[in-house]
Amino acid sequence: MKKTMTLNLTDAEMRVLDDLSSRKDLSKTAVLRQALRLYQAVEIRVEKGDKLVFENEETREKAELMLL
Amino acid sequence: MVDVSTIYLVTGDTREPVPAELRDAIEEQQLIDWQTQWQPAMIDTLKELAQRGVPLAQWPQSWHWDWRKKQAGVAGLLAFPGFSIVAEGMTQGLMQLDLTRAARWQAHAGKPLAYIDYLEVAPWNRPDLGSTLRLKGVGTALLTAAVALSQAEGFKGRIGLHSLPQADAFYARSGFEDLGPDGNYQGLRYFEMTEERARAFFEEE
Repeated sequence: MKKTMTLNLTDAEMRVLDDLSSRKDLSKTAVLRQALRLYQAVEIRVEKGDKLVFENEETREKAELMLL
Repeated sequence: MVDVSTIYLVTGDTREPVPAELRDAIEEQQLIDWQTQWQPAMIDTLKELAQRGVPLAQWPQSWHWDWRKKQAGVAGLLAFPGFSIVAEGMTQGLMQLDLTRAARWQAHAGKPLAYIDYLEVAPWNRPDLGSTLRLKGVGTALLTAAVALSQAEGFKGRIGLHSLPQADAFYARSGFEDLGPDGNYQGLRYFEMTEERARAFFEEE
């Protein structure tokens, strides 16, 4: 069962949400649900001591994302 | 709270309908069934294959999958939902998904999809193991559940997976696009069901 809540976002945050919604072809709710899944998955990995690293497929260059 | 839907499978010999539960979770009972029923049946099959001198390449390629470990790795994580099918008091199929992946099919590249990390049916329901199937339709029912979840999440029915070679033909005839071997994934073929194919698949099922 799903529950409804009101979300207060700034204009800038709303623009990002609109942009992601458009680029990913998702409703705004679906974008936020996806963001929650990813945030939870990252948090749990980081809590276990893992690092979040991005790798450029062409150059194989790696960059660590710092989570504060 | 686990969501349970009633679906129908058919018996392998007489094609009689058999009611089954599609559950949107893999719970402890499923892992007990896997451990106490699937594994012994799989071990018996492997022994028989060894006795008959069947080459290793033709053995069931998922024989080493450890569902308890797989579930422990994703426990509580929203991004990795599991599904199970229960019929005749026994777990008949299991599936674990990953909702963090993106489509590769050119027309939808970068858009989210439901990626099937693992899908396995009980050894007695596997057509590749030779004997008469107890129940038919378990794999297709799990695929249908993946498409339905993808639609419910706003992913338009898109699903993807890497197939073990023995299952390539099953996914090809289930309406997936074959994007070929993936060099970054042990050379396994990557299959994707597009929005259009998903709609057609769902209507057929």
